Amino acid sequence: MSAYAWVNALGGLLIVTSTMVVLARSVKKSAILYALQSFVLVLLLVSLAFATDSEVLFMWSASAFITKVVLVPGMLLFLQRKLGADSQDLGERLSPFKSITLIALEVLICFAAIQGVDLYTAAEVKPALAISLAHFFIGLTCIVSQRNIVKQIFGYCLMENGSHVTLALLAPQAPELVEIGIATDAIFAVLIMVLMVLKIYKTTKTLDTRDLMELRG
Amino acid sequence: MDTSSLLLITMATPLVACLLIAVLPLKLPRAVFEAIHVVSIAVTFLASLFIVASVFAGAGSVEVIDVWFQVDALSAVFLGLVSTVVLLTGLCSVSYIRFDSREGRLDASQVKRFYAFFSLFVFTMLLVVTSNNVIMMWVAIEATTLSTVFLVGSYNTKISLEAAWKYLIVCTAGVAFGLYGTLLVYANAADIMADPHQAVFWTSLVPYAAQFDSALIRIAFVFAAIGFGTKAGLFPMHTWMPDAYSQAPSPLSGLMSGALAKCAMLVLIRFYILAVQAVGPEFPQTVMLILGAASIVFSAFALFSQSDLKRKLAYSSCENIGIVALCLGFGGPLGIAAALLHCIFHGLAKALMFCLSGNVAMKFKTSNLEKIGGIVQVAPVTAVLLGAGLFALSGFPPFALFLSEVLTVISGIYAGYLWLVIPICLALTVVIAAFSLVFLRSVLGKAPDSVKKKDVGALMIVPEMVFIALLLWFGIALPAPVISGVGSATAIVMQEDASHLYEIPVLGEVLYAADAATQPIE
Repeated sequence: MSAYAWVNALGGLLIVTSTMVVLARSVKKSAILYALQSFVLVLLLVSLAFATDSEVLFMWSASAFITKVVLVPGMLLFLQRKLGADSQDLGERLSPFKSITLIALEVLICFAAIQGVDLYTAAEVKPALAISLAHFFIGLTCIVSQRNIVKQIFGYCLMENGSHVTLALLAPQAPELVEIGIATDAIFAVLIMVLMVLKIYKTTKTLDTRDLMELRG
Repeated sequence: MDTSSLLLITMATPLVACLLIAVLPLKLPRAVFEAIHVVSIAVTFLASLFIVASVFAGAGSVEVIDVWFQVDALSAVFLGLVSTVVLLTGLCSVSYIRFDSREGRLDASQVKRFYAFFSLFVFTMLLVVTSNNVIMMWVAIEATTLSTVFLVGSYNTKISLEAAWKYLIVCTAGVAFGLYGTLLVYANAADIMADPHQAVFWTSLVPYAAQFDSALIRIAFVFAAIGFGTKAGLFPMHTWMPDAYSQAPSPLSGLMSGALAKCAMLVLIRFYILAVQAVGPEFPQTVMLILGAASIVFSAFALFSQSDLKRKLAYSSCENIGIVALCLGFGGPLGIAAALLHCIFHGLAKALMFCLSGNVAMKFKTSNLEKIGGIVQVAPVTAVLLGAGLFALSGFPPFALFLSEVLTVISGIYAGYLWLVIPICLALTVVIAAFSLVFLRSVLGKAPDSVKKKDVGALMIVPEMVFIALLLWFGIALPAPVISGVGSATAIVMQEDASHLYEIPVLGEVLYAADAATQPIE
C-alpha cells in the first residue's frame, strides 16, 4: 500500500470519527472521540510527509498532536468537569439517522465538487481532498444541528480540522509559520468559547440553544 | 521619524495600552484607565493620519517587517476610516462607560476589562487593514471576533450573553469559510510560484493570479465571500449583527459597524481583486451582485419592522454593506470608487448614529422606540444631531452618503444594470420611510414626563458634532487628498494605472478637479 493510499484511507477514517463526534451525546465522549479523530489527522499528516518527502509536515504533525490531540480535548474535558452532570446529555436537533444521511450527502457533493480541480499537488489525493472539504461541512452541520452550545464548539473544531487537512494536502511545503498561525488562532477560539460557555452557564444555568433564543436575529 | 516607524508605533500603541490596562491593579482610580485609553486612541489617530496623508500624497506604500505589513492606497482609505472612528467612538465611550458605571450596569473590574479589550480590538483591526499576508489577514479577522466577544457581553445579562454567544459562534464558523478560501488561494499559489514562502503575501499573489486554477479560485472566492461577508454583515450571514449591536455598549456598536465591518470588506475586496485577475470579472461580480442586492432588499424591510433603535441601525448596516457589495458587483472604476466612498461615509455615519443611540439610552434608559419620544424637548442638541444623522443615513444632501449613493446609481446604470437599480432604489425608499418615522415619532413627538430636561455631557456631544461636520464637509466639498487617495485605491482594485481613471466619465472629471485643487497657486 503506497503512502498516498494511506493518506486517502486515513481520510476515510476521518469521516467515520467525525461522524462519531457529531453523534456522541456527552461532552466527555465527544472530547475523547475528537482526540481520536485528531490522532487520525496526525497519522494522515505523517503519511503525507512520507508521500511528499516534506520535512515541514513532520513538524506539523508534531504540533497538531500537541494542539489537537492534547490541548483542545484537554480544554473540553476541563469544561466537562466544570459543568458536571449537565454535560452528560447534550441532545440534538437532528436524529442520528438524519445526521448520518446528511453527512453522506455532503461527502457525495464534495466528491463531485473536487472533480473540477486540476492541481498538480491534488492529483494523488483527490479522495482525501474531497473528504477534507466534506469534513468542513460536517463541522458546520454539527453547529447547526445541535441544540447544546458545547456541541457547537465541537462543530467549530471539526471545521478547523477540515481546513487543516486541506492545507496539508494542497500545500505540503507550506512554511511552518502558516500552520502555527492557524493552530494558535484555533486554540484561542476554543479557549474563548469554553470561557463563554462557563459564563453563560453560570448566569443562565442552561446550555440549551432553545433557552437562548430571546433575541431574534 | 520615517513612515515605517510610524506604522509600527500606530500598531504597537493599542497593544501596549491593552497590556498596561490589563496589568495595572484594579484598585487604581478609573481615571487612570480612561487616560491610558484616550492617549492610546489619540496617538493611534495622529500617527495613522500622518501615514494616510503620506500615502495619499503619492509617497508610495509604507512597509514594515519585510512586506508582512503594508499600507498602500487601498489600505490607507481603511486605515484613515478606522483610526477616525476609533478616536471619536473611543471618546464617546468614556462618557458612556461612566454612565453605565453610575447606573450599576458595570462594576470596576468590568470597566477595566472594557478598556483593555477595546484597545485589543483596535490593535486587531489595525492588523487587518495593514496586513499584506493573507493568512495573517484571516488570523486578524478571527482575532477581532475573539477580542470583541467579551465586549458584546459586557453587561453579563442573559440576553447580552446570548448575543455574545451568537456573535462568537456565527462569526467563528463564518470566518472559518474565509480560512478555507484563503488556504485554497494560498495552496494554488504555492503550487505555481517558485518560492512557496512568497505565496502568503497578497502583493506576490496578484501577478500570478492569472495562472490560478479557475475552478479552485471560484470555490475560494465563494468561501471568502461567505466568510468575510459574515463578518461584514452581508445577508444571509448577518444574523448575529442585530443581536450583537443591540446588546453591546453603544459606542462599541458604532465602532463595530463603522470600522470592523469595513475591515472585513477590505479583506473581501483583496480576494475580489485576485478573483477578477484569475477568472475575469463576471463570476466575482455576479457573487457580489447577488449578496449585495439580497442584503439591501431584505434589510430594508427588516429595518422598517424593528421597534428598537439599535436593531434598526444594525439592519441599516446590513443594507449599507449591501450597497458596497452591489457597487463591487457593478464593477468598473465608477463602481469601485462608489464602494470605497460608501465604506468611508457609511462608516462615519453609522458610528455617529450608534453613539447617538447611546445619548438616547442615557436619557430614556431604553432603546425601544415605542418608549422614546420628544427627544427635542429633553435633549435638544442630541435631537438636532440625531435628526441630521437620520437624514445623512437616508442619503439626503448635503451629507456625504448622498454622493456615494448617487455614484452607486450612476455606476449601476453605466454598467447596464438599470433593471436592478430601480428595485434597489425602491428598497432604499423603505429605509427613508423607516428613518422618517423615527424622526417624527421619537425626535419630535411627546416626551415622557419621567425624563429630565438636560442633554448628555460634552464628552459625548463634541465627538458626535465632529462626525456630523465630517459628513457635511465630505458631502459639500470632498477634500482633494481624499479624492486622489480613493482614485489611487480604485486603481489598485482595478489593477490599472491610475492615469486610466481620468478617461472615465464623472470619475475623471472629479479627479481632474482634485488635481487642480492640490496644485500650488502660482
